[in-house]
Amino acid sequence: MSATLPLLVLLTLAAGAWLAAWLDRLIATGRIEPLAPLRVGAALLLRQRVTTEAPDAMNWRLAPAWYLALAAVGLSVVPFAPGAALIDSPVGIVVWGSCEALTVVTVFLHGWSPNAPFPLIGAYRYAAIGLPVMLPSMFVLIAAALPAESLSLVAVVESQREAWNLVRQPLGLPLFLLVGLTLTLRGPFDYADGEDLAGGTSAEDSGPGRALWQLARLAMLVAFSAMAAAVFLGGPLGPWLPGPVWLWLKTAGIMALTVAAGHWLARTTPGRMLTLLWVGLLPLSFLHLAIAGALAL
Amino acid sequence: MTLTIVLLGAAALIGIGLYGALSQQSFVMLMMGLELMLNGALLAVVGFWSQGLAGMPEGQLLAIIVMAVMAVEMALGFALVVAVYRRRQADMTKSIGTLKE
Amino acid sequence: MRDAFVIALVLFAVWTGWRVFRVDSMVRASFSLMLSFFAVGAIGVLLSAPYIGVATVFMMAVEMMVMAIFMVMFMMNPAGLNPMSMVHQHRLSIGAGAAAFAALAAAALLSELPDAPVPTDKAVVADLGHELLGPSMLIFETAGVTLLATMVGAVILSSRQGRYGMADQGSRPPGLEPGGEPAGRQPDESGGGHHHDHGGHG
Repeated sequence: MSATLPLLVLLTLAAGAWLAAWLDRLIATGRIEPLAPLRVGAALLLRQRVTTEAPDAMNWRLAPAWYLALAAVGLSVVPFAPGAALIDSPVGIVVWGSCEALTVVTVFLHGWSPNAPFPLIGAYRYAAIGLPVMLPSMFVLIAAALPAESLSLVAVVESQREAWNLVRQPLGLPLFLLVGLTLTLRGPFDYADGEDLAGGTSAEDSGPGRALWQLARLAMLVAFSAMAAAVFLGGPLGPWLPGPVWLWLKTAGIMALTVAAGHWLARTTPGRMLTLLWVGLLPLSFLHLAIAGALAL
Repeated sequence: MTLTIVLLGAAALIGIGLYGALSQQSFVMLMMGLELMLNGALLAVVGFWSQGLAGMPEGQLLAIIVMAVMAVEMALGFALVVAVYRRRQADMTKSIGTLKE
Repeated sequence: MRDAFVIALVLFAVWTGWRVFRVDSMVRASFSLMLSFFAVGAIGVLLSAPYIGVATVFMMAVEMMVMAIFMVMFMMNPAGLNPMSMVHQHRLSIGAGAAAFAALAAAALLSELPDAPVPTDKAVVADLGHELLGPSMLIFETAGVTLLATMVGAVILSSRQGRYGMADQGSRPPGLEPGGEPAGRQPDESGGGHHHDHGGHG
């Protein structure tokens, strides 16, 4: 099992990214075109690179790669079978939390480095929204760690043999979905790459860089969905089928939910969203943690 | 051996941090110097805990306290920068020198 | 083997820490400091303190993001990509930094260092949790109250509406030369709540 884990992680990332792109297209346009994402990606790879005046070239090139790497690291702490995660860290939840926080940094760098107005505005807006989103995220994850009495994701999955966290902590998954929308720059939380900013942080992207950035966004969606499946839906636990298959099924389900939420929910202005986050979601997630703590006692 | 390396690194971080805290004119850069000194302190604490306490948990607690100090320093530092900026529209240490006159 | 990694990470932490005051952009400076913290976090993970190490990475990613935003918010060039160097009492600072390093390094080299590494089979994270919420509960609660006081203090300090009127009432930007004309924008007296356009003055 342990030898195949790196392979499983890579396979999940690649297949999941394709599935996410396909779902995106399906929900947006209603057309079933399984090969379209690959075609669009290949076309982007062939296009020429356009550059801006005096950019920070290194960070501009590296930002998509870091985003992709964060998705890969995030996915590697998810157990693919009971007791088997590629990075079996005793603090897996904190590792995922670091990936979340670094995503905000990466998106900011991606918007800052081209030295152009639209990307920079997108980067600032995203940093302002992304930082307060990290707080409910940590509360939700800590609440999920309470019944397991451990920060290790393997233990969190083990603790759900009796009942999924979705049942024990019904507020957790909806709150975590908002985090996922933020991490993958989608729908109501897409303050970075929104169309009102002509593409925001990726407004100046072109060619392979753009393809890699879009791929990284999809990969992060895969990592987030797998994490949500492991924390709230019992991850690889399930009858008859082997662990990885259950994880894939649940991941695909969460992914469809996130993509649909991204397409169907409306976005509000950044100012209102900030109020909503600090005044609404943060106390709500705190209440959630308090209830989970009381139940765990 | 490991502890010596770590402590030398911590000393270098504290030295650079002190240089930055004394030499920078911008408040925020000055705070970076302070953060760098705390970084050195954190490194030294982690090194001492890992190599000298045989795993007593109190050493890790000290590291947590260093991190809490960092959080306090950041929050109050930025609040002060904002307050000074409101008053003087400046973020340079020179511009609040009136207190010494 | 572990020592080699530790040496590399220590060198990286010191180098990035040095870069903080050498790069010519505020954003680069804060992310350089972030890398320095990450190196220290990685050393923590290597030296069997996984929670401290990973939590450092988590905390510093957030903190340096805030740092970068504040930097650029208060700086004269909004993108923070233009060169800048603003130092004073340079020689004194170099001397103080070098003296601090020399003294601390001498202390590290000359003193008898303990040698009692963490046993490999120790559950360090669980230990930390039990210590935090067990024997050291008082310290933990003190830290909690301190952080609460910090939050209250930070909100009061940075609030625009104070007990004695607006915080920026009658504020004058500093002159370009001592005693000169105020440079830049005067805060509008109408009080329309526009306090977010800081760019374009020095």
